[in-house]
Amino acid sequence: MAAQKWSFKITPLRIILMLLAALAAVIAVYRLATGLSTVSNLNDNWPWGLWIGLDVLTGVALAGGGYSASLIIHILHVEKFKPLSRSAALTSLIGYLLVVAALFLEIGRWYNFWVPFVSWGYHSTLFEVFMCISLYTLVQIMEFSEILTERVLTFLHKPIVKIMPVLLILGTLLPFGHQASLGGLYLLQVGRLHPLWWTPLLPWLFLMSSFFVGPAMITIESSLSGRAFNHHIDKQILRSFIRISGYVMIAYLAIKIIDLIRLGVFGYIFEGSLESNMFLLEMIIGVIIPIIICFSPLSATKKGLITFGVFTTAGVVLNRMNVVFTGMYKALGSGYFPAWTEWAVSAGLIAGGILLYLFIVENFNILEYDKKYQTA
Amino acid sequence: MAGLANSFGRGAMTNHFNDYKNTDVFLVIGSNAAETHPMAMKWIQRAKELRGAKLIVADPRLTKTAAHADIFARHRPGTDIPFLLGIMNYAIQNNLYHKEYIANYTNASYLVNPNYGFQDGLFSGAGEKNGKFSYDKNTWQYQKDGETIKKDFTLEHPNCVFQLLKKHVSRYDIETVSKITGVPKDIYRNVCETFASTGAPEKSGNIIYAMGITQHTYGTQNVRAIAMLQLLLGNIGKAGGGVNAQRGESNVQGSTDLAMLSHLLPGYLGVPNATKHTCLQDYIEKETPPSGYWKNKPKFLISLLKAFYGEKATKENDFCFDWLPKVDGKNRSHMGIFQEMLDGNVKGLIAWGQNPAVGGPGAQFERKAMEQLDWLVVVDLFETETAAFWHGPGADPKNIKTECFLLPAAFSFEKEGSVTNSGRWIQYRYKAVDPPGEAKTDTWIADKLFKAIRKEYQNGGKFPEPILNMHWDYDKPGHDEPDIAKIALEINGYAVGENKPLDSFGKLADDGSTVCGMWIYTGYWAMDKDFKVAKCKRRSREDSGLGTFLKWSFSWPLNRRILYNRCATDPQGNPWDPKRALFKWNGTKWIANDVPDYNSKIAPEKSAQAPFIMLPNGNGRLFANGLADGPFPEHYEPMESPVSNIISKQQNTPCASVFKGDWAKIAELGDSRFPYVATTHRQLEHYQSGAVTRNTPSLVEVCPWMYVSLSENLAREKGIKPGDEVWVETIRGKIKCLASVSPVVKPLTVNGKKIEVIGLPWHWGYQGMSTGATANDITPAVGDGNTSIPEYKAFLCNIRKA
Amino acid sequence: MSKAVLVDLTKCIGCKSCQTSCKQWNDLPAIKPQFDNTLSYPAETDGYTYTTVLHRTTEKNGQETLRFAKRQCLHCLEPACASACFAKAIQKTPEGPVVYNPDLCVGCRYCMLACPFSIPKYDWESVFPQIVKCQFCFDREGTHDRIGHGMEPACVNACPTGCLKFGERDELLKEAWKRINKYSKYIKHVYGEKEAGGTSWLYIADVPFETFDFRTNVPNIPLSTYSHDYLKWSPAVFIGGGALLSALHFYTKRRNEIAKEKDKNHDINA
Repeated sequence: MAAQKWSFKITPLRIILMLLAALAAVIAVYRLATGLSTVSNLNDNWPWGLWIGLDVLTGVALAGGGYSASLIIHILHVEKFKPLSRSAALTSLIGYLLVVAALFLEIGRWYNFWVPFVSWGYHSTLFEVFMCISLYTLVQIMEFSEILTERVLTFLHKPIVKIMPVLLILGTLLPFGHQASLGGLYLLQVGRLHPLWWTPLLPWLFLMSSFFVGPAMITIESSLSGRAFNHHIDKQILRSFIRISGYVMIAYLAIKIIDLIRLGVFGYIFEGSLESNMFLLEMIIGVIIPIIICFSPLSATKKGLITFGVFTTAGVVLNRMNVVFTGMYKALGSGYFPAWTEWAVSAGLIAGGILLYLFIVENFNILEYDKKYQTA
Repeated sequence: MAGLANSFGRGAMTNHFNDYKNTDVFLVIGSNAAETHPMAMKWIQRAKELRGAKLIVADPRLTKTAAHADIFARHRPGTDIPFLLGIMNYAIQNNLYHKEYIANYTNASYLVNPNYGFQDGLFSGAGEKNGKFSYDKNTWQYQKDGETIKKDFTLEHPNCVFQLLKKHVSRYDIETVSKITGVPKDIYRNVCETFASTGAPEKSGNIIYAMGITQHTYGTQNVRAIAMLQLLLGNIGKAGGGVNAQRGESNVQGSTDLAMLSHLLPGYLGVPNATKHTCLQDYIEKETPPSGYWKNKPKFLISLLKAFYGEKATKENDFCFDWLPKVDGKNRSHMGIFQEMLDGNVKGLIAWGQNPAVGGPGAQFERKAMEQLDWLVVVDLFETETAAFWHGPGADPKNIKTECFLLPAAFSFEKEGSVTNSGRWIQYRYKAVDPPGEAKTDTWIADKLFKAIRKEYQNGGKFPEPILNMHWDYDKPGHDEPDIAKIALEINGYAVGENKPLDSFGKLADDGSTVCGMWIYTGYWAMDKDFKVAKCKRRSREDSGLGTFLKWSFSWPLNRRILYNRCATDPQGNPWDPKRALFKWNGTKWIANDVPDYNSKIAPEKSAQAPFIMLPNGNGRLFANGLADGPFPEHYEPMESPVSNIISKQQNTPCASVFKGDWAKIAELGDSRFPYVATTHRQLEHYQSGAVTRNTPSLVEVCPWMYVSLSENLAREKGIKPGDEVWVETIRGKIKCLASVSPVVKPLTVNGKKIEVIGLPWHWGYQGMSTGATANDITPAVGDGNTSIPEYKAFLCNIRKA
Repeated sequence: MSKAVLVDLTKCIGCKSCQTSCKQWNDLPAIKPQFDNTLSYPAETDGYTYTTVLHRTTEKNGQETLRFAKRQCLHCLEPACASACFAKAIQKTPEGPVVYNPDLCVGCRYCMLACPFSIPKYDWESVFPQIVKCQFCFDREGTHDRIGHGMEPACVNACPTGCLKFGERDELLKEAWKRINKYSKYIKHVYGEKEAGGTSWLYIADVPFETFDFRTNVPNIPLSTYSHDYLKWSPAVFIGGGALLSALHFYTKRRNEIAKEKDKNHDINA
């Protein structure tokens, strides 16, 4: 195994991705050296923009596949899903690395990034987010080092395997904290965030959506990697996997409706405004359609599975964007549209993530883990 | 200035800021105190809080002062006279004026020549002199019995001043005033009722004005109207009353006192005329009135000549009267000088703390005029537009031969000396910081400049005597700076041979035994016995009663805080309002809260006969025959007006100072190219021509852009949006600035016609950190017939999107 | 005792003395703001400006009029910004001021989003920007202190009309209500008495506060209540969740092993 060569296929698509990542890297260095105003359109009315909205809030949610899979596979030991575990963990890790990178670019005084480790603002929701994400990323790296040490630094492999149960439990627990807390960040926006989104339950709704988007992401990823690496996961496994999402979605939908009624803002849904339309779109494509797919024969088909994945993911992206932008639009005004450099960094980060994924998949035992598992 | 001096005897604010707290009703007209005198608002608000005082604001614009008004009357620029005469008419018709007051303290009872008359907008005696309109004032004189003026204390005689006034103002009924001014009738009636209520003896009404009143071709008469209204209602001399002319610069009162105006010597002594006053005797005989305090004029003039020429001034040589510069009857005011400059007759100009390239009327033409100069010296803090006139818009430096010098001057906090505020308080201030770089104090510059000039004259020159013999002894051994104490002592006055400041101008003599640079300040440098400092340096916060603070600084004259304060009590010496008693006669002497502005040693009934001590007859003038353009104010339209005068056939004042050339071009009545009325104004963020404020970052920040205010209605008609660039054009030129669209200005209904008004701040120019169009580039060069103050406040324009 | 300022907008003449004295006292740079139709410069507080005076035209008794409002940090009694800061860079002091310490600041700008009054601003142009907001002239260790030296804030000191009054909050609150009850012109609302759980700066006015875009839908409880109501679950979630997950982990593992053994046995039996 040690003799195995490092491989990385160069394709036109990968060249484009590399160019994107390189551009982002250049912009990132420029931003760190010259400040935020040189590359972003952020301003006093819109202190948080694309990087927080897309890269952090959405990124963390989408990387949630890691912890929902971890919960199902490692904690609940639903063994049939084990083939999904390594790729889910990898996607999640890369997702979090991107989040951390984006956060580092986001904060204005980046040389102070360590301060909250020392000066604990424990009364802040952001503190919980920060601590959980930091620890979780660390835990994920350690978890993932189980795979890495199969090939590099192999002497560490055994001890890591030993502590894996602790890491797995931590790795499942921590995301509960920050997934919810990301929603919790917007609790302070009471009276400003549109009532279709603002609720005291916002953290729990964020948590649920980050949970149900996990299987959806894994479905998409499986089909993509299936195409790229000719690696196919049994449709049946995926179907029962997304069923878990389906049940959570039903609960989510019910809670959301009851909550809207409870807060007396149900009427906003049909008022025909930008906010209400965006909310309807989010709920229909992100929750209602996926539920229908999930509990109908459609989910037995590959198309159905992919549609489920795409719609659910889009729904969660839309939800986060609605909280960050649509829902705040009335309160903060229309003074922000991301600069091209912001888009470029976001795109470059994703490109870099994909490249990293591809590299790791090509060089480590990720996708074939199920086979190994089956043989073991 | 002229309006006040001709009504009361002195051209200064009668009361002071702290006294505003004693007022019952304020009428602020032509002043935006909240922006130009924020501290005045402190006392206005205190009166509102303590006494429930009412604030009436009359202004074409919704100013920051108007924002605090109980009644805001939006009147058309240039219609102050009908506005004020209408209140007088209302007070007379409704018997609200203070009869006892006007009968005793004003000339209401005086009988006027029976041939006096008024017809078609002109007073009797209208005629021409040297090709110019002029009044023959013979019919404006009082009827006399020998030397005594005939009076009717019942005020019933048809030729008495009161009856003439009643008749004159009767034409200004509410309906007519509303038609002329554009103030809705109900608002105007409310103004009349509220302000005329101060005609009650125990009430005090206070009129505050500033440049909105004076900068008209009939500015002097505007002031007259204010003074008359206050006399009629018995508001002069009282705590909380007065005519309060708020001066625009921190020391403009001081510089006016010290002869900033071209026709005055220090202390309001007239500059001698070359043909009229051939010798000292001539001057004294012709200019000294037989009665009133001005009969002491020779003492003041001779003490001044002693200050100018020291030992050289002797009785034998007329105290060097011949060395005094004389006027030649030509207009030597600001516009007069620039007209001469345009004509190439002026070779050099020293602009000392003045920025005519921004502040003068038709400023673009004044910059053009400066191109005619051989040399220009500018003494200022920054390179002002005047200093840089040669690279202003439209100027071609290649073709300008003027040699320019810029002398950097110290700011007020960088030097020591006294500053006289609007309320006549001479307050001594110390230096806070040293001036930066090569900047020097004004006294240093003046001292060195004079010495250099004198040195030149030592080698000969035309008429060198006044220069060579000027008393100039201000050196302070071991110091580069002149000795400010020596200058102060000379202004204050002292007896020859003694170096002690005199404590009263009563001690000045006409025999050359006293020296005094300016008689009205005498006593300000005298030592206060308790505080052991010169009186202008006192800072006692102890209220000596009614907010007079007699031991805070020194107020000219003789520390009197409220002028003409004999009027504060009735002829017997009882205060009109016992709760606000400035004085009270207790049967043997006066109980005083202020320094008496009258002879307190004589019985009250006696001093009551002449409470206005500076006037020859001792009575306030409801009828003033000393002015060029009429004994009563009369409404004329501004030189540029969109409407014809509805009160008489006389469209404009016949006495305006007119000039020639492009800068004096006037749009004719009904010129459809310029349908809107424009007025210039100041605002709090900037000061005068902006020379300092547009170079101060934190002040640039609070108002960085030149703009024009226009109404929402006009903006809609013209398709102008807030922040658009617009052209504002007059017949004299055009300027480009940004549009501010808001209810600050609104169209007015004038005689049934809708008239749009626009407002232009005039603080900007092309130099400094904040640059912008100069509003005065398009103002007209036309002035008041008495003072030549330019008509900045009402002219015609057009506005369009740039 | 907590220091406070009472702002009586009926006395404000829009002279901006507070604004310029603030700049000077705090050594803040002056900038050249964009044109503003209301002539409020700057139109909002910004990365260089702690306080600005808003100018608004409004109607009163059927006539247009102008009103002015000084805007700056209200120094909440329980500030959302401080509750939002995860590095303790913003803190409420016992003296009243809510102060910012750039040394601890990461620059995440969550305080800007958290503040219900949109007060904290950012000096975007800097390489390492700071949060910028009124410090109530409280700078115990530094050179910009006034409160700590027993002086009133620079703005209050400069106010010519008595629009700003500095003192103890409870006394000023009493005075505010006294004025409101004495003069009919006031609207019956002390802005800051209850907003966001109460603020150290209190406003009274004769026109609705909406005139100046003051938010009137701010909850009357500290905003941090909402996040604390959520965060208080965290320890329970982590400890309980940790225990639960561990239990589940071992339980399901064991269950699977048993099941496997059963399968094996089953296989053997088969």
